[in-house]
Parts: sequence; C-alpha cells; structure tokens
Amino acid sequence: MEVWNLLLQGFATAGTPVNLLWAFVGCALGTAVGVLPGIGPATAVAMLLPITSQVEATASMIFFAGIYYGAMYGGSTTSILLNTPGETATMVTAMEGNKMAKSGRAGAALATSAIGSFVAGSIATVLVTLFAPMLAEFAVRLGPPEYFMLMVLAFTTVSAVLGQSTVRGLTALFIGLAMGLVGMDQITGQVRYTAGVPELLDGVEIVLVAVGLFAVAEAMHAVLFEGKVVETENRMSRVTMTLRDWKRSVPAWLRGTAIGAPFGCIPAGGTEIPTFLSYAVEKKLAKGDDLAEFGNAGAIEGVAGPEAANNATVTAAMIPLLTLGIPVSNTTAILLGAFQNYGIQPGPQLFTTSSALVWALIASLYIGNVMLLVLNLPMIGLWVKLLKVPKPQLYAGILIFATVGAYGMRQSAFDLYLLYAIGLLGLVMRRFNFPTAPVLVGMILGPLAEAQMRNAISIGEGSALIFVQRPISLGLLVLVVLILVLPRLLKARTPTLH
Amino acid sequence: MRPRGHASHSPVLQSLVGAGVALLGLALAAGAFTIPSNAGYAGVGPNFLPWVVALALLTCGVRLFFKARRGGFRNMEEHTGEHPFWGGFAWLSAGLLLNAALITTIGFILSCTLCFVLAARGLRLAQDPLAKGWAPTVRDAGVGVLIAAPVFWAFTKFLGISLPGLTQTGWL
Repeated sequence: MEVWNLLLQGFATAGTPVNLLWAFVGCALGTAVGVLPGIGPATAVAMLLPITSQVEATASMIFFAGIYYGAMYGGSTTSILLNTPGETATMVTAMEGNKMAKSGRAGAALATSAIGSFVAGSIATVLVTLFAPMLAEFAVRLGPPEYFMLMVLAFTTVSAVLGQSTVRGLTALFIGLAMGLVGMDQITGQVRYTAGVPELLDGVEIVLVAVGLFAVAEAMHAVLFEGKVVETENRMSRVTMTLRDWKRSVPAWLRGTAIGAPFGCIPAGGTEIPTFLSYAVEKKLAKGDDLAEFGNAGAIEGVAGPEAANNATVTAAMIPLLTLGIPVSNTTAILLGAFQNYGIQPGPQLFTTSSALVWALIASLYIGNVMLLVLNLPMIGLWVKLLKVPKPQLYAGILIFATVGAYGMRQSAFDLYLLYAIGLLGLVMRRFNFPTAPVLVGMILGPLAEAQMRNAISIGEGSALIFVQRPISLGLLVLVVLILVLPRLLKARTPTLH
Repeated sequence: MRPRGHASHSPVLQSLVGAGVALLGLALAAGAFTIPSNAGYAGVGPNFLPWVVALALLTCGVRLFFKARRGGFRNMEEHTGEHPFWGGFAWLSAGLLLNAALITTIGFILSCTLCFVLAARGLRLAQDPLAKGWAPTVRDAGVGVLIAAPVFWAFTKFLGISLPGLTQTGWL
C-alpha cells in the first residue's frame, strides 16, 4: 500500500540520529513546559520560532511537534500533584486526579494518565496516517469559496462555541483579525495600519502576540494577584497500577480515544468539550464502589478517560492542520505560523509538494509517543522536582526566554516594547475572562481567509453570491449559521429558573 | 483591610473594557477611511476587511458596555486574589521596559539579568511585601546570569540567532 511505503520513508527521515535528537529534546522540553506552571506548549513553541530561520524545516517541525505532545503529558502531572486553587488548564484531569493524589494514589493516577495518553496518542496517530491523505485528496477539489467558509467555521467555533461568552469570544477574534490586518495586504500590497512605523510593514510577529499574551501576561497576573496564593503539593506514591486499575483504565482509555479523535478531526477544536464529555460518560457508566469514588477518593476512570480524550483530540487536530491548513487551538495556530516561516502553506497540496516533510512529521508522532511514555513513567520523579522551582525565579526566567523569542525574530528593540503592550492586553483579557485562542487563530488565519474571500469573489465575477451557489460552501454557511443561532433558540425555549 | 468584591466584577472596570473595545473599533474605522478600495476584479478591495473588523469591534464594545451596565459580564470565572499588588507590578514593568531600552547598548546577558532581577524582586515582594532585604536580590543576579549567559551562547552559537552582545567577541 502506498500509505505504508510513504510512512516507512517518513520513519527513515525521522529516524536519523539528528532528527531523533530533535524529537527527544522536543519531548523533554515539552514535558518540562507542561509541568511548569505559567508556560504552556503555545508559549514554548512561540518562543522558539526564531530557530526557523536557521534550522531545517523537517527537524524543527519534528521538534515543535515534540513540544506540542510533551506538554500534554506534562500538564497532567501538574494537575494531579499540585493543588492550584482556581484556574487550571487541565481541569477535568484535575478533578479526579487530584482527589486520587489526596487519598494517596498519585502514582496510579500518573500511570493511567501517561499510559492512557500513549494509547490514545498512538491510535490517533494511526488515524492521522490513514485519513489525512484521504482528506487531502478530497480537499484538493475545494476552491476559494469552500476554504473561506471552512475558515469562517473555524472562526465561529473557536470564538463562539468554546468559552463562556459569545461576545467576549468574538471580541477576542476581531482583535486577532485586527492584528492580522497590520502590514502589507497579501493581494495588492496595500499598506494598512502601520502608523508609519517601519517595523510594522511586515506585520505583527506571531511570536510577540503569543509570548505577550501568555508568558508576559501570566507573569503580570502572578505579580498582581497571585502573591498570596498558597499551593500545596500532594505526596508522590509509587507509579504503578494494580490489576483492578488496569481493568478499569483500559476501557476508559478506548472510550476516551473514541470520543476525542472525532473532535480533533473537525475544524472545531478545543479539548474542553471532548474531555468533559468523556468524564461524563465515565461517571455515567461507573457502578457501585467505582461510582462512589467519583468526587470522593478519586475514580481512576475519571482520569483515564479524559486524559485519553485529550491526547486523541490534540493528535487528531493534526489532520485539519496538515490537510486544510486550519488551526483551531493556540498551539496549532503557532505550528501553522512555523510552517509559514518556511514559506510552506499547509493544505491539501502539502501531501504532494512537501511529502517527505509531512511523512517524517507523522512518523515522528509515533516515535514521540514512545519517547514520552519512557520520559513520563520511569522518569516521572525528575519532572516532579520541577514543581519545586520557586515562583519568582520561574516567572523571571520565563521573561528571559520571552526576550529571546521576541528579539530573536527580527532583532528589533521595538518588538520588546510591543511585547510589553501585548502583555498588558493579555492581562486585561485574562482578568475579564476573554479567551485567547481566538486572538491567535484570528491573527494567523485572518490574512489567509481574506485572500480566499477576495479570490472567491473574483471567481464569482464580483458577486458574493458565489458562496451560496456552490453546494459545499452553502452547506458550511448553513452550519455556521446553525452554530450561532441554535444555542440561542434552545436557550429561549428552556424556561428560566428565576 | 476592608473586604470587597473581585475587581474584575466591578461594573465600572467592565464598562471601561467595553468602552475600550468600542474605541478600538472607532480607531480602526478611522484607519479604514485612509485605505483605498482599488477592488479590481475582486469586487472587494483591501479596505473591506478593515471595515468589517472595525464595525464588529464597535458592536462588540457597545454590547460589552451595556452588559457591564446591566448586571455585569456573564459566566465569569472566579479569580484568585483580590487586591492587585501594584508595587510588584511596577518592579516587573521596570524590568521589561529597561530590558527593551538597554538590550542593544549593554547586551543581551546584562540586560536580561537586570530584567530577571527586577521581575524576581517584584514577584518576591508580591509574596511577602515586608521582605525588603537585598540578599535574595544579589542571589537573583547570580541566578539571572546563570540563565541568561547559557541561553545567549546556545542561541547565538548553536542556533545561529543573532542576539546583541556587549562586546564583539560573541561571548559577552
């Protein structure tokens, strides 16, 4: 079969000592940033974007994918072991995992989340291998109107569906789109919103926005509000699972994967919905003593399912990213930015024009999963030590890396001032609960969507009717309208409790 | 100290956020006026999306403003901490802004160490506002150099990214 030949070639590329080293460093770094509070995969990849000017494309994409993956593994360690009051990234894992750790079963929780992540990640990678080329073949036939509507769908889901408030989500999206407007227009070369600052001609760098919104805003938030927050750490126990734990975990992993993978495939990203769904399913299916453990001693299914769902979603999200060029989360948006730095536009043609790169990347996902299992099971004690880094040095250290990312991109001190300003924006957004993913997705996808829209209208000879004349584009348009209108209709029909 | 609600739930601050978004929309609209339309075959030119974004932000801003006036933003998460500690924020800001101002003159290592020291001091004061001693700050300076210098060498020597040095040697 052709796919397997291509995959084998991918393994040959990804398996060279240099690329294996990049994958390993990426996985290790990813686990570290996942464990450390205050820095996530999006920030880490963004800070390292300047290396795209020097490191060869395949190596750096393998490296970035390692970080992306590793952070998912590392993040669960923190949510299980640390009792962080208030905001946590992996909320669902924290619910049961934290309870398990409190009742002395931290080791079992860590084991089921690492092995579950591996199982789900591997299954989802097989799905990527099988379905991505098929989808790419289909997607070649899509024209600008369909692409534009797909992007509108991505904008809608990322801003209006995920998160607590549609208005705040849309505000964030349009702020991102506004940032994407700065610089030269792709089609006519018209300069927009540069205010005469020469640095802005090339637009606002993704690094600045990502690092400003996450790292700098996080440090600002910490210094302003979190000084008095006391975190306690749960005691580690041996990382092992009993036979009963296995019996309860395996079906939960598989169910989690089955729930997570489809959510990653559709351009409607976000891991919140699948992880919550998986948690609800596990709770519903549990009986007797197992059910009693939910919310009390901590039920292992409640960790196994959501963790698997999380990893399956994240892995399957590579499918829309690689075949359609549509990112639906912070990190995939930045990965798209990394591709663009190489002049590569992910999309259906990617599988033909950059076949070697894509298959090496997919092969590296298999390799990375194995590496991460090893990094996170026998070596878990090492990562737990990272939780002991004192907060002041941690955040101050992150700022040094933020400087590297922001300055290293185009060697301009102006960018460091802009970084501060974006940090302030991120602080306000964080304090008033505006989601950040729409900003990045809007900023990166905005210029592409604009170009597709203008091309589409050119095809329609100046008429916007082209979007309703083509069946796929019309279908997507209807879907977008439904997503925006349905929840409101349902809400209006359900009687309020007051 | 007098207990009070979380600052992010304050209707005044929320209204300001809404007004800010609306103002941003207006500013973008003002900018959109200056962009020529030269639409050509496309029917829509480079000024189309700017207008869409400007009007959308204006609408969102107005809606946020009225939401703030009528009972506040909905579905807000509970936040940790209530009294913002502006003293620490000033230290952190000084660190970041001085870093921006000095990086090309005193070089990456020194500038980042300064940023590290100031930011760490701010964060330390946030944890304990009474800790005025300078001993931890001296230690921070050491830690800052120990992070900044290897980072500088790793990025400039191995990854070929140019970062400003104090001297031309490439090591400092």
